[in-house]
Amino acid sequence: ECSEKKERYDTCFIKWYSEKYLRGEGSTDECAELFKEYKSCLNAALKQKGIHNMIEEARKTSPNNNNVKGLK
Amino acid sequence: MVKFYENSFSYDYQWPAVTLAYFLRYPNPYSKHVVSSDTLSSHLDTQTGNLHVTRLHLKRGKLPASVARFLPKIKESYILEKSIVDVKHQRLETETRNLDWEGVLSVVESQVYTPGSVSTVSELETAAAGVGRTDVTTVVRFESRLGGAARNTQSDGMAGRWFSNWTTGSVQGSIELVGMRRMMEGFGGRREGMKVVLEQLRERGFVGVIKEQRQGGWERWKKAWRGEGVERTDD
Repeated sequence: ECSEKKERYDTCFIKWYSEKYLRGEGSTDECAELFKEYKSCLNAALKQKGIHNMIEEARKTSPNNNNVKGLK
Repeated sequence: MVKFYENSFSYDYQWPAVTLAYFLRYPNPYSKHVVSSDTLSSHLDTQTGNLHVTRLHLKRGKLPASVARFLPKIKESYILEKSIVDVKHQRLETETRNLDWEGVLSVVESQVYTPGSVSTVSELETAAAGVGRTDVTTVVRFESRLGGAARNTQSDGMAGRWFSNWTTGSVQGSIELVGMRRMMEGFGGRREGMKVVLEQLRERGFVGVIKEQRQGGWERWKKAWRGEGVERTDD
């Protein structure tokens, strides 16, 4: 669905990650524009699938969270 | 009830390569169940220099028969992956967990990737020559809270009603064990997947790897690398 935008962003990210970030040179997010495009397409697809809210909720939990929200 | 599983492993590659392989690990011949991976966020913390990445993986697969007996067939499931790359200290921390059916079985896997410790002189020499090692320690936390699911308003509310009369402790324990067994079976496949990606990265660079992944060439990697056509299921 968002394959092209995703591919453009992914390529940008991996290139930046391996050529700049890992060498200690990555200080700016060079892929921000591409990500914005990809993300808006992705969010639309996730909303359509009805899982956008589930993901947002899950993302709020910290790594050491014991899934307390499930007890409510 | 909660169960933990711990394990340590080493890859014969340097830390930067292993972290790159981590982000490129899907698709690979040992992870056919992973259908897609999307980046939800990527944030560089300018103060620490740490990179925070959150991704969503979609897996297609079935539960083992012993659990599927109780539950409707699960066709797709989502995995949330959070990673923090600390390039200054050469440390990658990851956390992956299932998003669906959390009330039935929650599996949270935390990993830490660091450069391998070099203890002998010959190891020092090989490290200097560019051959490296990366250690990864993994902790997996399994928890089933079926008894408490009766009040849960998520999708497993139905499961909660079904099970509220059962001995919740024993059902939870069984589910956790099944989850553990399945995960342990999957570990070998995941490591093989990482190794294949690392090998391909070394041979072709990330441009070649990405190209093959997008065009389906990755299906041949296993055979080309190992000369065998054995299928192995993955988590």
